[in-house]
Amino acid sequence: MLKSLKRASVGAVSAIALTTAAVAGPYDEYEGQTLIVNFPAHPHFDAVMKILPEFTKQTGIEVEVDQLPYLKMRERQTLELAQDEGEYDLIAYVVFSKADYVYADQLENLAKYFMNPKLADPSYDADDLIDGYVYNIGFAGGNKGYLEGKTGSLFGIPYGSETSILGYRTDIFEKHGLEVPETYEEMLEIACKIPELEPGMGGLSSRAASGHHASHAFLLHLAPLGGRVFDDQWNPIVNNEAGVQAANALKTIVDCGPEGAASFGFGEALGSFLNGDTAMFLDTTVVAGQINDPSKSQVVGKVGWAMHPMGVRRGSQTGGFGIGIPANAENKEAAFLLMQWLTSKEGDKLVAMAGGNPSRFSTHADAEVNEKFPHMATFGEALQHADPDWRPIIPVWGKINADLGTTLSKVLTEDLDIQEALDGVAERTQAVMEEAGYYTWQ
Amino acid sequence: MTSQRLNKLTPYMFMAPAAIIMAVALLYPLGYMIYGSFRDWNPSQTIGESEFVGFKNYITLFYDPAFRESLSVTLTFAFAVVTAELVIGVGLALLLDRNIRGMSVLRTLFILPMMIAPVVVGLMWRYMYHPTVGTFNRWLKSWGFEGVDWLGQHALLSVIIADIWQWTPFIFILSLAALQSLPRSALEAARIDGATAWQQIWYIKLPLMMPVLIVTALLRLIDAFKVLEVILVMTEGGPGLSTEIVALRISRTATEFRELGTAAAMSNYLLILLLVLTLAMFAITRLQEARAARLARQIQEEG
Repeated sequence: MLKSLKRASVGAVSAIALTTAAVAGPYDEYEGQTLIVNFPAHPHFDAVMKILPEFTKQTGIEVEVDQLPYLKMRERQTLELAQDEGEYDLIAYVVFSKADYVYADQLENLAKYFMNPKLADPSYDADDLIDGYVYNIGFAGGNKGYLEGKTGSLFGIPYGSETSILGYRTDIFEKHGLEVPETYEEMLEIACKIPELEPGMGGLSSRAASGHHASHAFLLHLAPLGGRVFDDQWNPIVNNEAGVQAANALKTIVDCGPEGAASFGFGEALGSFLNGDTAMFLDTTVVAGQINDPSKSQVVGKVGWAMHPMGVRRGSQTGGFGIGIPANAENKEAAFLLMQWLTSKEGDKLVAMAGGNPSRFSTHADAEVNEKFPHMATFGEALQHADPDWRPIIPVWGKINADLGTTLSKVLTEDLDIQEALDGVAERTQAVMEEAGYYTWQ
Repeated sequence: MTSQRLNKLTPYMFMAPAAIIMAVALLYPLGYMIYGSFRDWNPSQTIGESEFVGFKNYITLFYDPAFRESLSVTLTFAFAVVTAELVIGVGLALLLDRNIRGMSVLRTLFILPMMIAPVVVGLMWRYMYHPTVGTFNRWLKSWGFEGVDWLGQHALLSVIIADIWQWTPFIFILSLAALQSLPRSALEAARIDGATAWQQIWYIKLPLMMPVLIVTALLRLIDAFKVLEVILVMTEGGPGLSTEIVALRISRTATEFRELGTAAAMSNYLLILLLVLTLAMFAITRLQEARAARLARQIQEEG
């Protein structure tokens, strides 16, 4: 009797314990922990700052943010990630840091977190994340080493990512009866027609300054015009017909652009569109917020959006930031919970409503988001064509990118012959790749 | 015996703390840089994990056209700014070496550009050079001239002008101090002998100021070789590589290309270049002093 009673009470106790365990939320174990995260000073992450209190309210996990200018952020991370014990639990990284961090074994592979039933939220719906962004920013070890594929795995989740989009002045287009360009030919033709139709106004503002800016602008045209930097054997093909066409497109745009366009960085290019000095803008989606902000823009309500025009194919850029967990982080599991919450459907919508760049298709299609930001639907459509391979993400890219950018700047300012310039880039790139060991198997 | 030895050691013991601090603060980083320049080292590695490559970084750089171009940009930039600053700075000092009312206010005004943070100077000039809204082109256009593409077609010249604006006051202030401390007797003697103002400048003031001017020029030259922020903000080294001075290339090599070993080797090239220049300058001063002393002896002997 006594024995059975004892057994019963043990049973009852364990039943109670089980129920408590079942009721315990996924965040309970981590309540009261403080995460230290490193984010860049960037419009998207300014929006993130507004939604973090909601995360703390829901989970009890505190978040301390170290927000740095993005070039400083990379320097700081390089130092932090090389320590035995790092300060950061979660970092936002620029897409081209992926190659360096993953290669140096400094980012956590996310498989073990998504496999852990206590951590992974079954309603997360990873398929809703934008493919191009995930492949470009999150994956490594797959195709070409830096993309998705059968040998690849996930090291980060896109957050604050962006693609390219064409902004155009609806008033100018209407006044002259111009059609919104669908193809590269149409776009270049309109770009050069604008200065004739509207004296003093440039056609399209583009970055073109020496280095990263010129290279970025060129690559923006290279993918839709059918080009690539390398072929499948890592031979540079930047100097083929598509490459020359892309450089020609850049030169045409700069020649028909606003005064001084050849020395424009991103800030100046955007500035001239915001001031109403140009009729079109082809660059990142991240500017949408500023274009609608009357304190920064003189063209509020006069800008329409269209997809990045098509060359022989559609291909808009993919870039911006992703978030990942450093291998030397102290609170990895709580950091994963934050990462999952931020990129969940709920978090993604919250950040979009606060003015950030969403990472999910569903957020782009969301009625409430579209009511507040009418351009979101076009952006979502553009994202279907986001090209994760518009530029290679390999450790030696920094050097090749700089050479490409300075050489193109010479084309734009010193009238260097395009074919000759790109042949030079290809030759030097070959040497850099050779030294880095890319031809070991040839 | 022991106390004698101790006595001999005493001065060294007094010097020891300074020597140790110097070794730690100066020689250690220098040694680290030299050591690093022989390695294939990226910032994600500790220096211990990097691979020893001998002189490879130095040899690659020697044949690297981009590095050579930036070296020649640096030399052009440094010699152009130092020459222009010397001429303008010394000229201003000669003009203002007199009792003018409110001189102390003027002097403060003149050295204002030096006090401004380089990043601010860079930004200020960048906006003044702006093709459409910049001050210079607006002036030019209001006078009926064509606008000039300052940071595009004439980037190096534009950067040189900005540096002259910022650093001429440095040479001016030191030259003025040198002028005011010149022995008045020599100048009075010259005046009595009927020397014109130009003769006084050429034969008395400038030769007597020479030691100060050489040190000043040297300081400016060393600084001009290392200038970074103003150019970084104004042109980021462009267009092409036309304003990419070595200091900027070093910074890009370390951060953009992530090649710390090559960046260290580049810094060492710059260090060697500066050492050679400094030694040459001192050698010239020594020679001049020796010549002056010989002349003085000859005059004495003849007298």
